[in-house]
Amino acid sequence: MAQRFDVLGLIGLVLLVAVWQLLTFAIPLIALPHPAHVAERIGEDFIVADYLLFYGLPETGLLDSMIYTTQNVLIAVALGATVGTVCGLVTARFDLIRAVIDPVLLVLGTIPILVLAPFFLIWFGTGRTSAVLLVAIYVAVILYIYAQRAASTLNPVYEDAAYTLGASRRRVVWDVLIKGTVPQILGGIRIALAGAWGLEAIAELLGAQQGIGKIVQVLAGSTDMEGIFAALLVLGILAVVFDAFTARFFSYVSAWSVEARTGGG
Amino acid sequence: MKWLIAQFRRRLVSILMLLAMAGIWQILSTIYTAEAVPGEPMVPGWQIVFSRTLLSLSDYWQGGLGVPSVAEGAPQSYLAALLSILDHSVDTIVRLYVGLLIGGLVGSLLGMAVSWSPWTRRIVDLPVQLLRTLPLLAMVPMFQLWFGIDFVGKIAFVGYGVGVIFFAGVVNAVKNVPQIYIDNARTLGASRLQIYRTVVMPAIFPEMRGTILLSLGIGWAAVLGAEYLGAQSGLGYVIIYSEQFAYLDRMFVVALIFVFYASISYAIFDRLSRRLLQWTPQAGRVVAHG
Repeated sequence: MAQRFDVLGLIGLVLLVAVWQLLTFAIPLIALPHPAHVAERIGEDFIVADYLLFYGLPETGLLDSMIYTTQNVLIAVALGATVGTVCGLVTARFDLIRAVIDPVLLVLGTIPILVLAPFFLIWFGTGRTSAVLLVAIYVAVILYIYAQRAASTLNPVYEDAAYTLGASRRRVVWDVLIKGTVPQILGGIRIALAGAWGLEAIAELLGAQQGIGKIVQVLAGSTDMEGIFAALLVLGILAVVFDAFTARFFSYVSAWSVEARTGGG
Repeated sequence: MKWLIAQFRRRLVSILMLLAMAGIWQILSTIYTAEAVPGEPMVPGWQIVFSRTLLSLSDYWQGGLGVPSVAEGAPQSYLAALLSILDHSVDTIVRLYVGLLIGGLVGSLLGMAVSWSPWTRRIVDLPVQLLRTLPLLAMVPMFQLWFGIDFVGKIAFVGYGVGVIFFAGVVNAVKNVPQIYIDNARTLGASRLQIYRTVVMPAIFPEMRGTILLSLGIGWAAVLGAEYLGAQSGLGYVIIYSEQFAYLDRMFVVALIFVFYASISYAIFDRLSRRLLQWTPQAGRVVAHG
């Protein structure tokens, strides 16, 4: 599943910018800023964005906000993925526990973040805790489903063979169940990570002291489209870059798996 | 028979679990009695939710049908509360499904158009990935500016959110259609359009199931997001108004209503898709690798 870089993709990006440029002729600049202006804006605001001072924020810029947002996303994904994976693997083997955990996590997962967020903001304040916990919940639900499915579709032949060869229960869990489900779980983590950026941004938008979402929220108040575009673009690029790296890393880690070697999966 | 009993036991445990969750909430509300603002407990217990909170929802009833609104001086009543829940739900659900329909159609059509040749598919790959990672809910301010805060703005926002998912889903599903199906059809003399209609479209539907489920979730999130800023009605509007006054109990009721609607729409879709997919060899089973 090693992803090779596709030159055509680059052409696609250029086309996207070209379409954007063309649209600016039809749509007033206040609604759709110029691509060049947005790029300039990213450069200007990267280290220190002056306008944020007017909104009562400390001296900060896109870089600081990116770091803050990235930290939160990574903590939340680590936390959520751990909880979700463990619960998913356990429940795939024990029906009773599954009947207990299924309703809790699946109900939590159906509540839109915009409904859940206000509660967390009132309960835990507008600091890091709220945002991280919120994102972690959705990550946990995704990983729960992925891990559960991976463990229940794992071919029973593997486990039976291991038992036949005299493996202890602990070794079967470690060598068959966990290792056998790793490729699919990693796929789940990748999907959860991709979604986590948006969730983190919205959590920050609803109430935070800093972060990319906070910047969008401040700028939305004064309909500063250039600034909003700049912030969102930076976030998008961040997400794509992280996704590319995790894809690389994961395909390296699970290179031994059957799916990876046969190109399926 | 044994299977049936196991199934029944699982159901029972699930229901017990939901009851236990409600019980834990109640216990939390008695232990943790802090208040967000005077008179508003941080964890509203059920006795508050089902009496005062439910009544207070009649504040959001705008009058009509012979039931006067609270704003006109009428006392709070359960009838007005019920009507206001129904009224705001209908507004939200109409926005959701019109947006879903438009977004789904446009997204799928664009996805199919792009999948026409492998070249166009490769070109749109990276841009779509970028568009997908743009946080949808953070884009609400933009859509308000572009399409206004009335019906069109909300539909456009839901449509965009769902459309991107559908687009990516269709492109990916078409890519995964086994080449042998297409080759076979072509050998038998099918035209490209025929292949699309009779081979590709039925073949991608099973894979689109996940996409449609995902878009349902995104759709709910998007319609709320659209209502979050500048709606005059809808469940999102009720939540915003409640949050501004830290009415945690009202937010809690709306959250419950959301869970209810979401579960219903998932269940209906699950039924429907299972029926529509009966013809596939692996219907109802998770498709294993290989």
